[in-house]
Amino acid sequence: MQQYILRRSILNLLAIFFVVTLIFLLLRIDTSFVVTQRVAQSQASTPEQEAAARQQVRADLGLDKNLMAQYRTYLWNVAQGDLGESFQAKEKVISEIKDRIGPSLELGLLEITVALLIAVPIGVISAIRQDTAIDYVLRFVAIALLGIPVFVLAVFVLRSTAIYLQYTPPLTEYRDLVPFPPFATDRGVGVWNNLQIMFMPGVIGGLGIGAIIMRFLRSQMLEVMRQDYVRTAWAKGLRERVVILRHALKNALIPVMTVVGLLLGVMLSGNVVLETIFNIPGIGLWVVNAIGEYDYPIIQGVVLVVAVGLMFINLLVDITYAWLDPRIRYG
Amino acid sequence: MQTGEPQAQAGALATPADWTLPKRPSVAANIWKFIRRKPLGAFGMLIVLTMIAMTVGAPKADFGTPKLPNRPLGFELGKPFMARFEANDVFRGGERNALVGSIDRFLEPSAKHWLGTDRGGHDTYSVMVYAARRSLFIGLWALTFATIVGCTIGVLSAYFRGWSDTLVQRFMDSLQAFPALLLLIMIISLFEPNLTIMAVALGFVGVTSVQRIVRGVVLSTREEPYVEAARVIGARDLRIMGFHILPNIMAPVIVVFSIGLGSVILAEAALAFIVPERVPSDPSWGIMLAVTRQYVPPFPPFLPFTLFEGSPEGYHTLAAGGAIVLAVLGFNLAGDALRDVLDPRLRVG
Repeated sequence: MQQYILRRSILNLLAIFFVVTLIFLLLRIDTSFVVTQRVAQSQASTPEQEAAARQQVRADLGLDKNLMAQYRTYLWNVAQGDLGESFQAKEKVISEIKDRIGPSLELGLLEITVALLIAVPIGVISAIRQDTAIDYVLRFVAIALLGIPVFVLAVFVLRSTAIYLQYTPPLTEYRDLVPFPPFATDRGVGVWNNLQIMFMPGVIGGLGIGAIIMRFLRSQMLEVMRQDYVRTAWAKGLRERVVILRHALKNALIPVMTVVGLLLGVMLSGNVVLETIFNIPGIGLWVVNAIGEYDYPIIQGVVLVVAVGLMFINLLVDITYAWLDPRIRYG
Repeated sequence: MQTGEPQAQAGALATPADWTLPKRPSVAANIWKFIRRKPLGAFGMLIVLTMIAMTVGAPKADFGTPKLPNRPLGFELGKPFMARFEANDVFRGGERNALVGSIDRFLEPSAKHWLGTDRGGHDTYSVMVYAARRSLFIGLWALTFATIVGCTIGVLSAYFRGWSDTLVQRFMDSLQAFPALLLLIMIISLFEPNLTIMAVALGFVGVTSVQRIVRGVVLSTREEPYVEAARVIGARDLRIMGFHILPNIMAPVIVVFSIGLGSVILAEAALAFIVPERVPSDPSWGIMLAVTRQYVPPFPPFLPFTLFEGSPEGYHTLAAGGAIVLAVLGFNLAGDALRDVLDPRLRVG
């Protein structure tokens, strides 16, 4: 087991190295936008001045060196935990990620909680009543939820509550929404306000994810219900509730965990759409703006953090998997 | 499908004179059976067919390089038969807000404009029909790209295994670690707005999942007796992969294709909604939603006959949102049903 964890960790490092390299190359394809923007700020008037300013900016950003040298500097900095400074806000990327990951994580956890609350009962009912009217209705609803784009649903809900109930979620000041780590500072907006802000996007995002989990859980349940140990449980006369919840559901939930883990990893990058519509100062909103400004230290930093998070969450899920299901042995 | 078998066995026990082959069910009978067994799947198929019908237009003899959205196959497609106006009448030269100030703006639905007109004077129903062409062909191009690349990588990786497999899979892991939507925005930001680039980018994002599924299937297929038999008679690797493995993994590939189309359509709409200025301005469901975002009607509309009184653009949103929901629903339902029909292991009853 320890050997397995070690090997996976090394392979993860390899994959993260790929990620870092890819994002670096992708962002160096065309850096002229950043340079032009900076030159425009420097108020150079004549072409000579402009050329000099351009030269200066390229030297400042380290773009005048060849690609290999730039890459080496970048890797060295990343290895030391230095993700650079954003161009627009002139702030350390790492500290800004710390400020913004709180809201994104909270939104993600809320979405997954809502999703599980919806998915588990519906998935179980749909599986034990396979091919009946209720199964068809539930599956149809699930796929419909999968199809409704979050951005349509979110705008509908926001407009409806505003018009019929005269209620809109309160707005917050930047980065006071969820301090990270939680309870670290005293400037938070308070639990009640925070929940008001997060409730709507959490539920709306959770519906779509719930549909994914529900469909997966249903197929797992169908498989488990045909296993011998479930038949044994029925045969010794256990009550339906016990057979389904304790013998079948428990086993069906293990593979579902993998999916939940993957979703958790995806949550790290924030939910771009929901953060935009509900104005939540999370990672997604920030990084999309950064892409618009070609603020590449931010993009590199976020991609790196998300990749690391995703891979180690996956590793964690696999380890838990082996712990929950003793039949699984990693060589 | 198997209904003929018991009869055939009974016939085998009787005298040879009674031997009759079971009658092959007609196509109509098969379709009817599919509808009865998989009502949801049939509903999905109906949506898919409607969407295809929306894109069909009179072909014009204008051959050239394939280009999205109106020349996806190398010849120009004219006005979709289902649209009610020529492109120039609908879009006034193709620009989104070309005719602000036109007297045709903000019309309520009528016999002429089935879903009213928007702030640009565009006929909402026709915009929706034109947009179907873009969505469907982007989806087809993206999925074709993803399937070809994904199958190649998946088959090669699983067939040869070993260290090259490990390396390729780690590389795929790292691609999957990129947040998909961010990667898409980043790729399309690097180029001028261009539908072909968008289709390839969407396909690129899909490659990882296609290849993972293909690889999984090939890992078990390559141990099948018929592959071994092929190897015994001296078939080369390429022949085994192309003629023995590939045809046998088509079922999961078709299912992935169908369900993938739904998610690509959704992703395309999301992209157009989040960064409308960076995607081409051809009619698109996502752009329709982005443009009229602040005019979305409250939901639920309580009285159907004054559905969106005072804001006919509500129909714009309803048309685009409804179209996206139905399209994704259709491809998912059809894919689910196809999975059940094509995969013999899952066939029930």
